[in-house]
Amino acid sequence: MIVNKELCVGCGRCQPYCPAEAIHYEDQKSVVDQDICFECGTCLRSEVCPVDALFEPLHIYEYPRAIRKFFSDPASTHKGTGIQGRGTEESKTNDVTLRCGPGQVGVAIEVGRPTLGMGLRDIQEITRALAQSGYFEIEPNNPVNSMVLNHETGDLKPELLDERILSGIIEMTIQKERLPGLLQVLKKVIPELGSVFMLDVVTLLEDGLTIPAYVLDVIKSEGFNWRPNAKINMGLGRASE
Amino acid sequence: MTHSLHREGTIESLEKDYAVFIYPARGYNYKGKGLNVRRLVEIVYQVGPANMIASTLRENLYSGVQPEAVLDSIKDGARVYTVYNSRDKIRNLLKLFKEADQGISIVVSGLIDRVRDIAAEAGLNPHTINLSLGIQGATHRLPPADIRQFTTMCGHAQVSPNLVKDIIRKVKTGKVDTWEGSLILAKPCACGIYNPHRSQEMLEDMSSQYMVTRW
Repeated sequence: MIVNKELCVGCGRCQPYCPAEAIHYEDQKSVVDQDICFECGTCLRSEVCPVDALFEPLHIYEYPRAIRKFFSDPASTHKGTGIQGRGTEESKTNDVTLRCGPGQVGVAIEVGRPTLGMGLRDIQEITRALAQSGYFEIEPNNPVNSMVLNHETGDLKPELLDERILSGIIEMTIQKERLPGLLQVLKKVIPELGSVFMLDVVTLLEDGLTIPAYVLDVIKSEGFNWRPNAKINMGLGRASE
Repeated sequence: MTHSLHREGTIESLEKDYAVFIYPARGYNYKGKGLNVRRLVEIVYQVGPANMIASTLRENLYSGVQPEAVLDSIKDGARVYTVYNSRDKIRNLLKLFKEADQGISIVVSGLIDRVRDIAAEAGLNPHTINLSLGIQGATHRLPPADIRQFTTMCGHAQVSPNLVKDIIRKVKTGKVDTWEGSLILAKPCACGIYNPHRSQEMLEDMSSQYMVTRW
């Protein structure tokens, strides 16, 4: 995002809208710090600029800068998945797709969430740790997969490493017996990160919205806790194609 | 959207906050299912959502868009994101969804214990759960938890912490009331699951506790 300095009247109304705190005053005009900006478009969509000084230059849609846009603007559709959003359909359609089936768990690492975003070098810390421990089984349709140079090492494409995104989701489905090992890998990498991620575990339910005891026991024994709220697929979908 | 399971706040506040997703599955029930999704959206309106957006017309409930325009926009593959602010409404919604039997995946984000009870009351047996194991990493860099109660209602972090503080300042100085402020906060959320009713209650609780600064 760029502010047209010729038009800007310096009212500052756009500034609080920026999730990255990238907009600040310079010579009594608002300017966008291009290193910090995620290209999420929030300031533009807010429609608060009284003189239409905010605009998206074409280069934000050029690789590698475009990765900021696709992973930070929820109104943009990722070219690889055709899905708006940073992940895939994951648990939301599991009653139809059974992507996470009996004996399996899904794990989602929501990098950069909440609020802070994450640089690709930090994401690479996670993908390398997962790959080097034999846990990097990222979903082929997951948008983060498009960033990966080498699945055996977890290295991301070098031209992307100076970019940053507001959110991305590393999604995997593994056999449930491997969940403790995966959580142990994540525990080791957590202290190395300069930003945050949110961690999800997906599992089929037993009757009456009963969470399998094995999954809860693993979460507890590895030093994590689950929050009181969750996302729950109500089991009303069915395949028809 | 995944982030709806990470909404923060007190249990009392989260009891009035249920995000609901209508989600056809690519390759499984996209084709020819636009009318089925449309029927579910009619039910969404019938029950009275706190907010909503259809992926085919990215305008939230308070944008001035008419229900007919939203319904007419629904086509194959359309996804709908909505939020309700009472247990009675979500139970009624799920009962009607079950009766309608449109074969499209329905997801509810909310307190596990409450959703368990509501599902039983609606005669549903939930299929899959996505548990939140919380925030990991450099948590010291995060805005305070009371600000995150607002910002995490938008899963894509489009509601900035500074905007929340700016609205608190405007409420305190009488420039907007708590409902107007909540609608301003709801606007950047591109998924339409920012709950302005809950936001209004939180603004009423919090505005007296904050100093008036720029933000």
